[in-house]
Amino acid sequence: MSDQAIVRLEQATKLYRQGKIDIRAVEGLSFNVYKGGFVALCGPSGSGKTTVLNLIGGLDVPTKGKVFLEGEDINLLSRSRVSAIRRDRIGFIFQAYNLIAVMTAYENAEFVLRLQGVPEHECRERVTAVVAQVGLEGLENRRPDEMSGGQQQRVAIARAIVTQPAIILADEPTANVDSVTADSLLDLMERLNRESGMTFLFSTHDQRVMGRAHRVIGLRDGKLERDEVLS
Amino acid sequence: MKLYKMAWRNLWRRKRRTYITAFSIGFGVLFSVTFCGTGDYGYTKMINTSAEMGLGHVAIEPVGYNDTPSLDKRLLNTDDILSRMKEIPGVRHCVARITGQAMLASANKSIGGAFIAIDPAMESKEQNLFIRSIIEGSVFAGTDGLGAVVGSKVADKLNIGIGKKLVYTTTDVNGEIVSEIARVTGIFETGVSEADGSMLLLPIDRMRAVLSYGPGDATLVAVVIEDQRHAERMREKINNAVGSPSREVLTWKQTQAELAGIITLDKSGNYIIQVLVGLLIAAGILNTLLMSVMERTREFGVMMAVGMSPSTLFRLVIMESIWLGILGVLLGVIITAPWYAYMYYRGIDFSAMIGTDYSASGVLVDPLLKISLFKESAFAILAGVFTLTIFSGIYPAWKAGRIPPVESLKTL
Repeated sequence: MSDQAIVRLEQATKLYRQGKIDIRAVEGLSFNVYKGGFVALCGPSGSGKTTVLNLIGGLDVPTKGKVFLEGEDINLLSRSRVSAIRRDRIGFIFQAYNLIAVMTAYENAEFVLRLQGVPEHECRERVTAVVAQVGLEGLENRRPDEMSGGQQQRVAIARAIVTQPAIILADEPTANVDSVTADSLLDLMERLNRESGMTFLFSTHDQRVMGRAHRVIGLRDGKLERDEVLS
Repeated sequence: MKLYKMAWRNLWRRKRRTYITAFSIGFGVLFSVTFCGTGDYGYTKMINTSAEMGLGHVAIEPVGYNDTPSLDKRLLNTDDILSRMKEIPGVRHCVARITGQAMLASANKSIGGAFIAIDPAMESKEQNLFIRSIIEGSVFAGTDGLGAVVGSKVADKLNIGIGKKLVYTTTDVNGEIVSEIARVTGIFETGVSEADGSMLLLPIDRMRAVLSYGPGDATLVAVVIEDQRHAERMREKINNAVGSPSREVLTWKQTQAELAGIITLDKSGNYIIQVLVGLLIAAGILNTLLMSVMERTREFGVMMAVGMSPSTLFRLVIMESIWLGILGVLLGVIITAPWYAYMYYRGIDFSAMIGTDYSASGVLVDPLLKISLFKESAFAILAGVFTLTIFSGIYPAWKAGRIPPVESLKTL
């Protein structure tokens, strides 16, 4: 793991308005995520894990404080620039897989490369390599509804890593699969982190998953509860 | 995956809904083709029939004759005009005629009527409705004889038949009352009561002599052109070729103002109905696309989360509406083609309902309803329906790109 910060949060606060009440989803949160990290963001439901991932991913903006991605303050960027950063520098993995229903596994994995305008032959090479990396050979032409949850999540991982982003944000990536599948998905992510140096930041409230992380950032009620390096 | 391919697949997420919308577009095409086609066919038929009843699509007349027709107004030496007209592309046929009012009398009765003096050698069944409608006898030979072809109701009113005499009385170029005898060589029946009950055809040179006109003089030169829709353009061309301060060149819209008014009114009604139908179809398409967008809010959120820009998302939904438009238009062509073929070749006969002598503004209306669409109209319908579909997609497409991804991801 390098000491180069991919993500930096400085007193990040996010308030949501629910009716007439302000909900503090995240309050005064500051931490860094370094290149090559395998970091778990943990805490109970409602602790602000997803909000933090949304802030880092440029899907949401902090009410106060700053969020830097590779040194750029996301808050100061235009909508289209943030969109381009999400496309080129961030990989997303969602709890519910969120694959595009009308696309095959191959096409889902290829999707972001297409958005980047990568030529077809290069897309083919990269997607083929990634499909092999996540263990989906032979399933390339299946649509999401023809695959198991674990297989779908592997496609989502393929989609997230195919562009070789600076960081992969995974929101409870193992929450919707059984424990065996969860272990295999964690093995896969860990291997990608170890072999390719990919930076992972994933949210979870599962103790077993936390145990696989190299660093755990604990949240409670939107505030930093602990920041612990495990290995 | 290319955007167009993705849009195409998206269309088939809900097959039944896509088919229903595409069929509604298709029926819109059918409806428009029917309305436009009956108009294109019917108006052309009426305009051509009107042209064949004496004045042509374009008429060259003495100045003021159209407003206050009288026989003291005349074109001099129409032979020169006719020879120059032959050089103008788009002119199918042109003839000099003398038209005017006359009192028609037989041995025991007289009626008011109107005459058209013609050169039978220059006229034919194809371009002269009266000659085409002869039911008894034939058109007179030569231009200076005493022959006459009368309407069937004129013959009835005057109680005359083939070979019988009648006397017509009119005013000559000097305003003097003049009379001449004619002998009936033919009887026509156009089906238009006004024409059959008042018109007669006379030889033009005989009429020139009666009216004290010089050789080649006439009250008008009737010009039949290749395509009635180009009447205004042809009027300009003809005016440039033969116009003079003493002549005016008029289109059928000016010489048959009443008919032009009826057609304009009818067309306006057609357009209003078509616009209303178009709006209904657009509302259907809008509803389909909007539903399709709203139920994919989460997916759009994911797409934007992984880097799709709102503009690309906009293009995706627009592409879906383009596909829907193409599909609808294709279905429209498929369901319209047999209907069009039937209506083009066979048509629907309404003679049992309106009879065979229904006329509008003195022009016989064909009781056989047919469809014949101009190329421009066909293009306009297809382009119109297609454009409507795309326009209907703009709001849903804009809406898709406006939802913040973080909100979209919260939806189920």
